[in-house]
Amino acid sequence: MKPKEKSWKEISIAAVCWKPSTETLTGDWKTYMPVRDLEKCTRCLLCVLFCPDGAIHWKPEKGDIEFDYNFCKGCGICANECPTKAIEMKLV
Amino acid sequence: MRLIIIIWEALFGELKAVENLFEVRWHGRGGQGAWTASELLARAAIYDGKHVQSFPEFGPERMGAPVTAFTRISTKPIRMHCSVYEPDAVAVLDATLLKTVPVTEGLNKKGVIVINSKESPADVRKMLKEDTGRVWVVPATEIAIKFLGTPMTSTAMLGALARVTGIVGLESIKKAVEERFKRSDIVDKNFAVIKETYEKVCSE
Repeated sequence: MKPKEKSWKEISIAAVCWKPSTETLTGDWKTYMPVRDLEKCTRCLLCVLFCPDGAIHWKPEKGDIEFDYNFCKGCGICANECPTKAIEMKLV
Repeated sequence: MRLIIIIWEALFGELKAVENLFEVRWHGRGGQGAWTASELLARAAIYDGKHVQSFPEFGPERMGAPVTAFTRISTKPIRMHCSVYEPDAVAVLDATLLKTVPVTEGLNKKGVIVINSKESPADVRKMLKEDTGRVWVVPATEIAIKFLGTPMTSTAMLGALARVTGIVGLESIKKAVEERFKRSDIVDKNFAVIKETYEKVCSE
């Protein structure tokens, strides 16, 4: 049957979350994933601003952006907002 | 003598009722239609003259959160109102749930587990924690996108489950889909999905 759950004495006070959400990968269930066309992309960084999960990172040392597929839920907002249509949603 | 007959009936009458009971557990994610699928199966079973129950169990109510739904089908009126703990069949609407949710929990050895996956049944078997039940696999997401345009795998998995368990016929599923979705174009698309998965589901 189900694994034994923790008693109220074992969990943190007032059931405050003791694990940061960065430890739980929230983007593993997506159906579509964004793929970027490097030649079309103008690095305008609109997708970084629009991403609701903060899964697109600006890397200043590379001068380029990076998708974090561990947290991307595949919503397609970045592909919709991209002014040059450089992002395409592909089936995983 | 009369007493013996009464005791006999009380014992084996109950056992028979247990045998006639068929329980299904659906694992899905919010927005994929696990609850709809369980409801459609229940409605289809009503057209086959069975007694049914259909109910969901939510965690956080949002898109993408794991959802469980249950269907209970019996030839006799169902007096049980508890959750399903030992299902005869399990349907998994999303293959990524295999990593996080114990899908084989409580499944009996003669049971079946139908999984939406592109991989072969042998590969999916390795991802399961327990070694119970027979594994069936169907690429439901591809089929759903082909006909519906959205990755909603509820009707796709219903078709596969109907083929695997044989608990309801395609005719009664069609009636149930017509009753549930009402609009004729949606009904036609969904029934095309059901027919396709009904043929394409494969076992190890």
